[in-house]
Amino acid sequence: MSPSQTETSPPPEASQLEPGSFRDPESRVFYAGEGVYRALSEEGLSDFKALRETKLFERFTGDGRLVATELLEGADAADGLLAKGSAGILRHERIPFVSYPYEWPFSMLKDAALLQLDLNLAALEEDMILKDSTPYNVQFKGARPVFVDIGSFERLREGEPWVGYRQFCMLYLYPLLLQAVKGVAPHALLRGAIDGITPTQMRGMVSFRDRFRKGFYLNVFLHAKLEARHGDRGKEVKAEVRKAGFKKELIVANVARMRKLVKGLEWSPPEGVWVAYGERNSYTDEDARRKDEFVREMSTSQRWGLTWDIGANNGRYSRIAAEGSDYVLAVDADQGPVELFYRSMREEGDEKTLSLTMNLADPSPGLGWRGLERKSLPDRGAPDLVLALALIHHVAIAANVPVREFVTWLASLGTSLVIEFPTREDPMVRKLLGPKREGLHPDYERETFERELTGAFDVERRERLKSGTRLLYFARPKGAGRPIDLTAAEG
Amino acid sequence: MDVLAYLDPGSGSMILQILAGGVAAVAVTARLYWNRILKFLRIRKDDEVVEPKQQGQTDSA
Repeated sequence: MSPSQTETSPPPEASQLEPGSFRDPESRVFYAGEGVYRALSEEGLSDFKALRETKLFERFTGDGRLVATELLEGADAADGLLAKGSAGILRHERIPFVSYPYEWPFSMLKDAALLQLDLNLAALEEDMILKDSTPYNVQFKGARPVFVDIGSFERLREGEPWVGYRQFCMLYLYPLLLQAVKGVAPHALLRGAIDGITPTQMRGMVSFRDRFRKGFYLNVFLHAKLEARHGDRGKEVKAEVRKAGFKKELIVANVARMRKLVKGLEWSPPEGVWVAYGERNSYTDEDARRKDEFVREMSTSQRWGLTWDIGANNGRYSRIAAEGSDYVLAVDADQGPVELFYRSMREEGDEKTLSLTMNLADPSPGLGWRGLERKSLPDRGAPDLVLALALIHHVAIAANVPVREFVTWLASLGTSLVIEFPTREDPMVRKLLGPKREGLHPDYERETFERELTGAFDVERRERLKSGTRLLYFARPKGAGRPIDLTAAEG
Repeated sequence: MDVLAYLDPGSGSMILQILAGGVAAVAVTARLYWNRILKFLRIRKDDEVVEPKQQGQTDSA
């Protein structure tokens, strides 16, 4: 879709509101058929028309950093979509799978932050500005960030400050600082509060010594102090700031300073993760080779739409699955390997494998207003194929989820499945069982597992790896496959 | 100034931007504090500062 093309066909009638898009009164996202649309108020529409004339619009949509967008001439939105009434409709390119900042490893949040700042600097050059600074406005196509909220651009009004500065701190800068400087993963905090970490909270989490670190004094210490002192003087402060003559140059200086600070922030997983990442990418023993083949055979046996690789670790099997899938979601509870996998995919310019960090035993829930603004994983798009390799022992033993629960959950996704079952004799399983009381997890047995699996799926293949402690299965949803008899001798 | 944004820019956050703006902020910071001094010395009345001034098209949207 060419970025500035206009079309006359109105969107189909039956439309569905995006429950996470209501905060900005000038624009509202909705879906109709396969399309993603945005209704704009009168102000919103004239802001879009101004944006469409800028050089940045062509440049950033051209290289895909800004979501491809077209104005539908003559299209009407349903009444009541916007309190102010709707004056125009945009159509957007669809992002294959939506993700949230509390699922991104460090570098994804940093790349999203840099995109946000670069867009703001480019907008300022042409007398426009981003009215907010939320990472929920950035999505990823594989390892490439895309800014999706066209409604965020507005014409710069003389004398206004950078309204999104505080939000930038709360949702981008503080999480990045916590990870880079304090070694604290910010995911639980971001998931816990949709608006992020306030300056006062951040101040409480850092030590006196931190004020000498780059970016801390101004953005954390002084920010919290000024907020405490002036928090209830909104109107007076606005008047003072106006009187003092707030200029565009000041915003540019602040955004540029922030960009330099963010650019300089680094975090790397502990050394052990690097070592494991490299090793797993190069191991050549018979088991690994056979497992690769099995996964390749199954994941290319037909064309799959969306594949989830859960417990993806370093992404080895996500890469294989990508050969036969339109889009791959690689999820792992450990941020370390996800970070490294994202960096590799970014380097390769990948656009079809999305890497996220999430604990499957405590997955992203529905959040925000009515629990609908941010969706759970299955609500964002059910998979056609799931890879659950070297995962079930972690879920069943480490997280105490009964085998039956896990298999039932997989079946509820309505997906085909490649699953690996390490037996109780497997070294990793023994390690996980080690600290547990004798006799716990009686359901973690091959027979129980196979009974549950055949009860919930049509199991079409089973293969035991040479070392003998790991079994691989391929299964389709009940009624969709040609099941084999697992009680018969292994073939 | 009429901040029309749906997002609250935060009072402290606005002042911080003036203090943090480096060279670009020197004149603005000076004016901000000069106005406060005048106010403190009662050379200028409070409402003079608060009353919004017409700024061409910028405040009309």
